[in-house]
Amino acid sequence: MPSTDREVGVRIAVDRVLCTGHGVCARTLPGRIRLDEWGYPIVEAVAVDPVDADLAVKLCPARALYLR
Amino acid sequence: MTGQTLWFISRATGTVSLILFTTIVVLGMVIAGRRAPHGDSATIVMGLHRWLSLGSLAFLALHIVTAIADGYVSVGWLSTILPFTSVYRTFWVGLGTLAVDILLAVVVTSYLRHRMPERSWKAIHWLSYAMWPFALIHGFAMGTASEPLLRWLTVLCGAAGAAAVAWRLRTTHADRERRALVNFQEWS
Amino acid sequence: MTIVEELERAGLTGRGGAAFSTAIKVRAAHDNDADLVVNACDGEVGARKDAWVVEHHLAELVEGARLVTSGRRDRVTYAAHRGSRTADLLTRAGLEVLDVPARYVSSEETAILSLLHGGLAKPMTKRLPFVYGGRDSLGKRIAPTVVLNAETVWRVSQVRRNGPDWFRRFGTDTEPGPRLVSVGGAVAHPGIFEVGSGVPIRDLLDAAGGLEPRVPALLVGGLGGVLLTTDEAATTAWSGPGMAAYGGSMGAGVIEALDPTRCPLDVVTDLVTYGAGESAGQCGPCMFGLPAVAESWAELARDPNQQTLDRLQDRLGVIPGRGACHHPDGVTRFVGSALRVLMPHIHEHVAGPCPLGRSRHAVH
Repeated sequence: MPSTDREVGVRIAVDRVLCTGHGVCARTLPGRIRLDEWGYPIVEAVAVDPVDADLAVKLCPARALYLR
Repeated sequence: MTGQTLWFISRATGTVSLILFTTIVVLGMVIAGRRAPHGDSATIVMGLHRWLSLGSLAFLALHIVTAIADGYVSVGWLSTILPFTSVYRTFWVGLGTLAVDILLAVVVTSYLRHRMPERSWKAIHWLSYAMWPFALIHGFAMGTASEPLLRWLTVLCGAAGAAAVAWRLRTTHADRERRALVNFQEWS
Repeated sequence: MTIVEELERAGLTGRGGAAFSTAIKVRAAHDNDADLVVNACDGEVGARKDAWVVEHHLAELVEGARLVTSGRRDRVTYAAHRGSRTADLLTRAGLEVLDVPARYVSSEETAILSLLHGGLAKPMTKRLPFVYGGRDSLGKRIAPTVVLNAETVWRVSQVRRNGPDWFRRFGTDTEPGPRLVSVGGAVAHPGIFEVGSGVPIRDLLDAAGGLEPRVPALLVGGLGGVLLTTDEAATTAWSGPGMAAYGGSMGAGVIEALDPTRCPLDVVTDLVTYGAGESAGQCGPCMFGLPAVAESWAELARDPNQQTLDRLQDRLGVIPGRGACHHPDGVTRFVGSALRVLMPHIHEHVAGPCPLGRSRHAVH
């Protein structure tokens, strides 16, 4: 579980065109990404632990999550 | 190991592979066709889809190796990649080979997904809809004649997959509907 | 001096709204052997200056494009709304014209690039500026292309012709050069005016013959801009810092006085509903968020209450920055400013019937 004050790590972003609102990233990056009322991700912290980010990127069904 | 043992292992791993493929394909359809307000179940489905795909390769490899090593019938190593080259039951073995080829393409492209155009990945991923019936028919024709249990398992896999396809064709969700609605407007 | 050095010294920035350094863009275009698209869509609500440039300064516009593409005319495409007079004028001049669907987000630079490359006129995710070349989200190749606003390209030729020092005589040190402003709506003489940054907005309104009586607010920058009260407009300079005080910018140079005969809440409802309908349906927060904002606003205009206000503000808070293009940012910024400027009017609605709303219940 990533600590919320950690500012080191890789930077994540969402390709908004590819994102179709599966909501997986809110579970793979809890505390970093939450979903809005329509089910689309809100990136609350851009810097993420590299290992967590790698898994989250792999598990995004729409391939919308990427590292900047 | 005797030929008989190898034959049993091959049949068993083939059956497990088929059950796994069916599960993976059904999970894939669930991912594509469904949206839930929270990502909890989607995460589990996506994780299973991905890791079962990897795990299934072990069973598939064992299935192929034992089928050829068996030696009782002549399949030949070439037939593991080149369809319809087996001397023994050319067509039914060939369907299995086709399924393997497609599966490898789907798995490899999924691991390279971030390095290739999304639409290429998607086109290849769609081939799974051909891979699965090939594997199903291959299994049904070759491994189940003398075993009612295996025959019923295969039929069950077929029924589950067919039900999922029927569901996938009818289901929709807000994201897809809104995109389709807007696309109907003038954009070019 | 090369054109890039001249532009650098002149300090020309994009006149389409983003105000990015033109020298940097042109240098990148040269380094990457990029094609040029001259954006003459006037895509912003109330914008008319691209049409004006094409109508009155076409030769200089073509000259500017020649300078940007190092003289290779075959590398230039002019983007204009389908069926517009601008498209007609450009076509009749024998120029290569890209027919852009006459709608809001299709005029955005990446939407034009997508259309140019055979795709739909919908914005693309910009992982890197497309002047370097790139791919759309589905992986289609986009050749290195730079998009410049028509006024910007015209200014490029002026900088070459008159020199950077001439250019810097207009405006301020940080925002040099002459710039066009379309002033329209409820003013006596709508028109296009050329000014420098720092001029009082009041002067611009005077140049347009002054505001009609009882104008409820001014829309500065269109759907991607902000509302100002007439008092604010009267005391604010037409400049980046001046507009930044209200969360706005000089944008694409548009000032519209709202119709004094209509309830401004209804005017905003119409605008935000239009903006929601212009979503390209590509990004969830935009295609669902903007209609939700429009719905909340309409509800607030109909029946103002705290709950609706809270929901609207929540929605305005989560949408910005979450689209492939800045359309959702622009519309939410506009609605946020409308909320600020029209809050007193919303309170009047709570107290009783709309004091301005003569056509409040009219069908439009």
